[in-house]
Amino acid sequence: MATHPKETDPAIRVKALESLLTEKGLIDPKALDALVDTFEHKVGPRNGAKVVAKAWVDPAYRQRLLSDGTAAIKELGYSGLQGEDMVVLENTDEVHNVVVCTLCSCYPWPTLGLPPVWYKSAPYRARVVADPRGVLAEFGVSVPETTEVRVWDTTAELRYLVLPKRPEGTDGLSESQLADLVTRDSMIGVGVVAAP
Amino acid sequence: MLLTPEIVPGLVAAGASARIAAHVAPRFRAGDRVRIRNLNPATHTRLPRYLRGKIGIVEVDYGVFVFPDTHAHGLGEKPQHCYSVRFTGRELWGPAAPERDTLRADLFDDYMDPA
Repeated sequence: MATHPKETDPAIRVKALESLLTEKGLIDPKALDALVDTFEHKVGPRNGAKVVAKAWVDPAYRQRLLSDGTAAIKELGYSGLQGEDMVVLENTDEVHNVVVCTLCSCYPWPTLGLPPVWYKSAPYRARVVADPRGVLAEFGVSVPETTEVRVWDTTAELRYLVLPKRPEGTDGLSESQLADLVTRDSMIGVGVVAAP
Repeated sequence: MLLTPEIVPGLVAAGASARIAAHVAPRFRAGDRVRIRNLNPATHTRLPRYLRGKIGIVEVDYGVFVFPDTHAHGLGEKPQHCYSVRFTGRELWGPAAPERDTLRADLFDDYMDPA
């Protein structure tokens, strides 16, 4: 069979799948538009940032978040598809958590939205498990030798959100000012939250 | 069932947990030492290749879930426990790996043997 380089283009494969599912009467293409619109425009990492900021200012919430992530995140109204079973990982002086899905691109949609392209890329997935400190350094994160780097490979149905360390010198900030500091990367574990 | 735009908001809000209310005895408990089976199926699996044959410690029993390896192929839910399993960097990558660093993976009963 002749090979056509364009056949490997994911956009073409997606189009073919969509046509097939539509012809078989399994989907209305407008439903896919609604799904894409939801996760591109309505859901994103600002949700996760609000969870993090609340955990920083409310010790009882932080406790609930660490013991039952799904329920505590739902308190703020974030739940559902790809966030059904959430586990929150707290970064401390002792442990720096970083999340990957080596098998594909599993990611906590209700709190972070859709994964960035690099998260789905083969190099990130392969390298962050074998050389996490090297990959973190490329993201500008230097973890002291005395801190354990703990990589979480999202291989099954649990979804992980990192609770980054609150930056020093932010005592006077409100919860919403703190939320503005929290980056998507810090909630994956490839970033740290900087003071303003 | 036809996926229509009307279904989308409910689907997004409710999700579809793979957690299942089946009573299945766990094969392992937190603290157990396990060896990951050397399985190489050509079909769907959630067992990453780099863990095959490695020794880990069960940290958390997350409960009972549908087993993706069979469910993906219409071969039944085969409900079983899924665990967070801890591996040292050195077990996975050899003596050059930093001593403190570790990895956690979520692994099903069918992937592991006592070690």
